[in-house]
Amino acid sequence: MTSIATSGALRRRIPATGFWSWVTTVDHKRIAKLYGYTGFAFFIIGGLEALLIRLQLARPENAFVTPAEYNSLFTMHGTTMIFLVVMPLAAAFMNYLLPLMLGARDVAFPRLNALGYWFFLGGGIVLYSSYILATAGVPAGGFVPETISRLGSAANGGWFMYPPNSGATFSPGSVIDFWLVGIALAGVGSLVSSVNLLTTIFNLRAKGMSLMRMPVFAWMSMVVNFLLLFSIPIITVAIFMLIFDRQFGTSFFEASGGGDPVLYQHLFWLFGHPEVYILILPAMGIVSEVLPVFSRKPLFGYPAVVFAGIAIGFLGFGVWAHHMFASGIGPITQAAFGLSTMTIAIPTGIKVFNWIGTMWGGKLRFKAPMLFAIGFVAMFTIGGLSGVTHSIVPADWQQTDTYYVVAHFHYVLFGGAMFGIFAGLYYWFPKLTGRMYHERLAKWHFWLMLIGFNLTFGPMHWLGLIGMARRTYTYAPGLGFDFWNMVSTIGSFLIASSVLLFMANWIDSRRRGKPAPMDPWDARTLEWSIPSPPPEYNFGEVPAVEALDDLWHQKYDEDERGRPVRKPDADARLSDLEQRHLHPAHPPHLPAPSAFPPLAGLSALGFAFGLLYHATAFGVVLLVLATVGLVVSFLSWSQEPLEEEAGK
Amino acid sequence: MTTHELAAHTETSTGIDTRKVGMWAFLSSEALFFGALITNYLLFKGRTLEGVHPRELLNIPFTSISSFVLLMSSLTMVLAHAALTRNDQKATRRWLLATAALGATFIGGQVFEFTTFYREGMTLSTNPASSSFFVLTGFHGAHVTVGVLLLLSLVAVSFRRKGLTFARGMNLELVGLYWHFVDIVWIVIFTVVYLIR
Amino acid sequence: MATADHAHPTPRQYVAIAGILVVLTAIEVSLYYLDIGGLNTFALIVLMLLKFTLVVAFYMHLRYESGFLRRLFAAGLAVAGTVYLIVLLAFLERGL
Repeated sequence: MTSIATSGALRRRIPATGFWSWVTTVDHKRIAKLYGYTGFAFFIIGGLEALLIRLQLARPENAFVTPAEYNSLFTMHGTTMIFLVVMPLAAAFMNYLLPLMLGARDVAFPRLNALGYWFFLGGGIVLYSSYILATAGVPAGGFVPETISRLGSAANGGWFMYPPNSGATFSPGSVIDFWLVGIALAGVGSLVSSVNLLTTIFNLRAKGMSLMRMPVFAWMSMVVNFLLLFSIPIITVAIFMLIFDRQFGTSFFEASGGGDPVLYQHLFWLFGHPEVYILILPAMGIVSEVLPVFSRKPLFGYPAVVFAGIAIGFLGFGVWAHHMFASGIGPITQAAFGLSTMTIAIPTGIKVFNWIGTMWGGKLRFKAPMLFAIGFVAMFTIGGLSGVTHSIVPADWQQTDTYYVVAHFHYVLFGGAMFGIFAGLYYWFPKLTGRMYHERLAKWHFWLMLIGFNLTFGPMHWLGLIGMARRTYTYAPGLGFDFWNMVSTIGSFLIASSVLLFMANWIDSRRRGKPAPMDPWDARTLEWSIPSPPPEYNFGEVPAVEALDDLWHQKYDEDERGRPVRKPDADARLSDLEQRHLHPAHPPHLPAPSAFPPLAGLSALGFAFGLLYHATAFGVVLLVLATVGLVVSFLSWSQEPLEEEAGK
Repeated sequence: MTTHELAAHTETSTGIDTRKVGMWAFLSSEALFFGALITNYLLFKGRTLEGVHPRELLNIPFTSISSFVLLMSSLTMVLAHAALTRNDQKATRRWLLATAALGATFIGGQVFEFTTFYREGMTLSTNPASSSFFVLTGFHGAHVTVGVLLLLSLVAVSFRRKGLTFARGMNLELVGLYWHFVDIVWIVIFTVVYLIR
Repeated sequence: MATADHAHPTPRQYVAIAGILVVLTAIEVSLYYLDIGGLNTFALIVLMLLKFTLVVAFYMHLRYESGFLRRLFAAGLAVAGTVYLIVLLAFLERGL
């Protein structure tokens, strides 16, 4: 296909390749790549912010960055990694894989899918424009300790943005508002995406694929999207209320006005805790796919892993106030949440034991995806152990706001989520590109990253317990912090080098990697039964599924001892499948590209800036234009047929 | 195969129309949105450091009529849907317009109520009680306004050559679900904010 | 095929339900003016839930839909009800 027709009001033919084809795409695989590359770009930026932080903390009483710049850096680093890196990278995997794993041609709402991406991008643009456009203003008391540079003008209230610090009194100017509006916009994108993916999982499965025959990754995606569906509205309310406090003189969170800052904390963490499970469950899903393939054994205890994931999602809504143990909540509340936090360790532990059980007695192949998956299990377990120590309330009082907490969440978010993501990136690289990555370079990446990561964050457990405080731009010498901070900084540069190795591998392998077959890993799930890279329509004919790990059972029988025996005609079956998907009997119908999701995204971006500049004429004009744009986009969208109409 | 192959319900794994599943998922999430605002109201409704208390200004007879108007709009909405299933384009359009008109009347009532409160000294920022009140009822009003726009667009579409065909019938059903949802949120707000002392 | 699958109330039944909703609202409003003590709040909540259920079951058609949709909607209500109740209790403990 060299060109495709959009339909509806802006009907015209556009080429199937090139810039506009990407802007108007509704193909889930392309949208996944958009999420992936954008998310990775933010990973680099967030990583640079981290390196600046580490350079500042390498020595005591350092003056590499100013205090205001430091505040911006740690806020933006955290916000970026959570909202603009791990979430979009997870979205990339879910978008790419779910239709392929479920046997579908695309997601349930292809245009809504695109809209989710554009809202994410808009949110990121608004957030990062704070470096360029925001003004810090003069704080209460009129004392300005430094002239605040551009680097110090980005959002700076911590990624959780607690009032009263983030309120109008202590954060005048527009810095905080950029964060609030940007995150709200990105959040709507996630909500839209969750509606889409949930409907996809429930409604677009291939014949015979009951829920209990879905890959674990699909189950984890389901839980993640339920968590998003229910948690994003809560932070949206919190953000609106904080915006009203800052802009319209309300006192929701101002004690002096009769409000209560703890209410913000409840609302924020009601979102924030499910959020961390949103961050980790996709990686857990990826690891649950990788380990069986590289152990040549089925996942140990599939139902248990599935139900543990559901339990984590469920319980994830019952532990939020463990982030507030030191905020003055009452003892009964503390005890209740301490208990619930301890219980959430149980389903997590079940998963860890099942992963170990999968590998036990298996024929292990230590390729890069497997190394990262094993790394995930080990690093995440360490992070989980420090997490469980937080559940003991008096211990948590000691740990709160120290580097012990920083160690914990980096072990689960980097050692966990990011390692899982790297496992997935290597694992599905052949499917995505039709080529193999360079295995030796990938191993260098793994070992360098593992060592660098542990050097960076391992010492932080100790630093926290001996009293080093978070979110503070420097520390005094002679407190015992100096040596380990230097170690940590060195480790961070090792991480950075390993990321460069990954990037070099990705870029070079895409062009010059060895061509990959349809099923290079001898895998188990449906996405390996279609060509690499997949045709635009995914499946030439919609598959019928007869069992969990259906592809595996098409290739293998079992002997009397339960060991897999390759069927004599397995290879013939695979090439037959490949041919049937490459040359479909009936030309498949695909959703046509659409200009309205990006148009709506652009209008939303305009609306966001209009809000930020609402006090100026420019802002008001933007708001009006953006509203018109939104209304026109959605109206036209509703009238645009989903697919190319024959003969038009 | 035409427009609705991918969205068609006949082949879906649950047997339910895909767009209906999507709409119910969205409405489910709105429980968390309005729940937060209602909780906020319940927490702050007694917080009147200074300034007037909402309780002093609420006009129950007036709001009862507003509530009645919104309830009736749900009736006209289902009658519009019933008319569409009979393929009675004119009746469908009339009932849709009636729903939009009733919705607009409700909004008009809200606007009147709010401007009265402002004149009597209760604004968004007077005290936490007033803030919570305005934010809850304000966001509800915004949802109603979006609903009225959706209804009017359905009316506009009904003027197209093919009218509100059966293929587009799902759009009306989806808008209906959204509209009724906005009504049930008001059922809760009316009781919790206005009637419970 | 979409809507012919399952039963629909007739227009007359819809009007009847509207009538019930009006009556319930009238009772609610009169309860505002009467004062039967603590029972007031309880009665008002019961009436609210009745109206809520009527609209959801009949106007939103949930009574006739697949159980999956009922569970989907109920899930949001259940999560909201639970977490917000806990928030209110937490504030109650600290002293509102």
